[in-house]
Amino acid sequence: MTIRVSTSQMFDRPLSLMSQLSAQADKAQTQIATTKKISGAADSPTAWLRLEGLKRAGADDGAYSANIKLAQGVLAQSDSTLESVESQMQRAKELALEASNGGLTDENRQAIAEELDSIRDSLFGLANTKDVRGQPLFGSATGDTAYVKNIDGTVGFVGTGDPARIPVGDGDAVQPSVSGAQAFAAGTGDMFSVLADLSAALKAGGDISQAASDGLAGIDATLDSVAAARASVGARAARLDLSADHLVDAGEARESERSGLEDTDIPTAITQLQKTLTVLQATQASFTKLSSMSLFDYLK
Amino acid sequence: MSDLLSIGATGVRAYQTALTTTSENIANAGTVGYSRRTTVLNEVAAPSNSTTRVPNGLGVVVGGVTRAADLYRSSEVRTAGSDLARSEAGITWLDRIDGALSGNKLGDRLTAFFTSTKAIAADPSALAPRATTLEAAQSVATAFSATGAALSAAASDLDASADAATTQLNGLSAALAKVNSGLSRAQDGSAANSTLLDQRDQILESMSAITDVSVSFDAIGRATVRGGGDGGPLLVQGVESATVTYVRNDEGAVSYAAQFGNTSSALSPSGGALAGYTDGAQKIAAAQSQLSDQARAFAEGVNAVQAAGVDLNGDPGAPIFAIGDPASNLTLVLNDPRGIAAAAPGAGTRDNSNLARFDTLRATGNVEGAITDMTASNGAALAAKRNVAEAQGAIRDTAVAARDSVSGVNIDEEAVDLMRFQQAYQASSRVIQVARETLQSILDIR
Repeated sequence: MTIRVSTSQMFDRPLSLMSQLSAQADKAQTQIATTKKISGAADSPTAWLRLEGLKRAGADDGAYSANIKLAQGVLAQSDSTLESVESQMQRAKELALEASNGGLTDENRQAIAEELDSIRDSLFGLANTKDVRGQPLFGSATGDTAYVKNIDGTVGFVGTGDPARIPVGDGDAVQPSVSGAQAFAAGTGDMFSVLADLSAALKAGGDISQAASDGLAGIDATLDSVAAARASVGARAARLDLSADHLVDAGEARESERSGLEDTDIPTAITQLQKTLTVLQATQASFTKLSSMSLFDYLK
Repeated sequence: MSDLLSIGATGVRAYQTALTTTSENIANAGTVGYSRRTTVLNEVAAPSNSTTRVPNGLGVVVGGVTRAADLYRSSEVRTAGSDLARSEAGITWLDRIDGALSGNKLGDRLTAFFTSTKAIAADPSALAPRATTLEAAQSVATAFSATGAALSAAASDLDASADAATTQLNGLSAALAKVNSGLSRAQDGSAANSTLLDQRDQILESMSAITDVSVSFDAIGRATVRGGGDGGPLLVQGVESATVTYVRNDEGAVSYAAQFGNTSSALSPSGGALAGYTDGAQKIAAAQSQLSDQARAFAEGVNAVQAAGVDLNGDPGAPIFAIGDPASNLTLVLNDPRGIAAAAPGAGTRDNSNLARFDTLRATGNVEGAITDMTASNGAALAAKRNVAEAQGAIRDTAVAARDSVSGVNIDEEAVDLMRFQQAYQASSRVIQVARETLQSILDIR
């Protein structure tokens, strides 16, 4: 039995086929132009879900890498400031050694004491350095400054505890500096009390051998503390460098996964488009030919 | 010889009718719902009994005009049309939900809010990162409200569409009742009868796009229609038709009722656009309630984190969000960046330990994940429905092609018929001429 085709079918069927082909061509064209093959959740729910996850991870890592940059800056500043403290203390050590030499006049001792005082003043400045956030670099958990000068001339550390840690990864946080109480400690006192005691003994005159050896021991203890703080700061900076590298690597891995999920494979899409257009053109041509044929043309 | 003359005359009359029917077919080749007509020609048999013996008949007579229609193929088209219309209506609303959920970038904004708190943690006493977080919070509140509003708009558009569809269905039912009444008066085999039957089939097809219908016909072709399957309420019977209404109750569930005469009964369509609206209304209501749940969980979680810490002034943290009605209608109630409670109580302005609670809230509450899952599962439903609709579209196309191959007009065929009947007409005229000449030849005998 032959299938009977009504005239309206001869128009309707090619019409729906051609509009389907046009829609396919339009989709391929959009995928090429936007370079994306997923424009919404319905295109591929699993891939879309994965892409959302990648986007979220990217945003998180963006925040973490900004925090890492800040922490790296603060750590570098801590290191260079500690270096200055170290060289000041080296000079203080030279002066202490000089002072322990028995053959000094009172004037010499006075001069040494004055230089020690000025070192102490510049150390006070260094210990109160502000970081890029405007916060005391060597401060505790609280307070706007690290050290204050009391009325009696002694220098005291403000507050207790360690400065707040900066989050640099999921469940990972780093302390960008050290507290002065830790970095500048010398036994039970700190570098300020060591230098003040030595300077006072030199100014007082008399037998200073005990005071000089106490001073030397105190300065050595401070140098040890500063060196330990620098080592710790350096280790943290090295860890952050690794974290930063890791974020870059993770970003690249994410980008390649994203591209695999979402980017249009241009050669395939172009081939697909070309194929669709060829079929569409052929359909148009055959439709024109078929629809122009009618028995009425031959009825004269 | 008068026999020959009258036989010729019947032929001329009959083929005139046949030519007219063919012309009608050609003229209506493009008319939607038109079924091809055929003129039925019958021989006029000579009366005969045992005593008379007439060798020939008395010519040809038009027995009527028949419609080329196939009840079963039309019914297939209706079923396929109902299924397709349901899926297509469902797709419309799933698409709206998709637009509402992904258009406002709610997930992205939630992510931006949570990541912005990490910048505060890096520098708790600075105001700039706090202001950024407040902006991000405002943006989240806006996104929740806008998403909720988009879903509400979809729900009210659905109401309007469903209302319009029931109005259309009522119009069609009333029209079909009129057609039924016309059919009781029209003579079988008349052109009027064929036209009414075409209208009947077309109305039934339109009705089936709105709700699935169960149709039965009586001897003269009058339709009795039930909505929502065999057991459903009557929509049309004889010259009476039902009025269907769309109702949404307070809980947001939608239903349809059919009022036929004095009886009102529930209409539960399982096909057609009305069923699609029911599906859509369920999906929209589910999305609205999920969105509100997430908005509430998020706002309460954030406010609880605030309450657990202290702000830059050392005061306990004030709430950031106020929950509206519906809950998705979040508003920002904290305007001072200093008000974000970054520090644990008593820990001072440079502390950031309370901010870690935001990370906990993010991990345990997982609002971002819930929103993404909602969007993805709606997308999956949409993709599945599109695939189904594509298959149903193909089924419907096949059903339409099968029906049209019986009832559609092919103008090449009509051209052939035109020639055939024209020749028959000319031949009948020739018969009349022969009759006249034959009679003349007798009269000419002298």
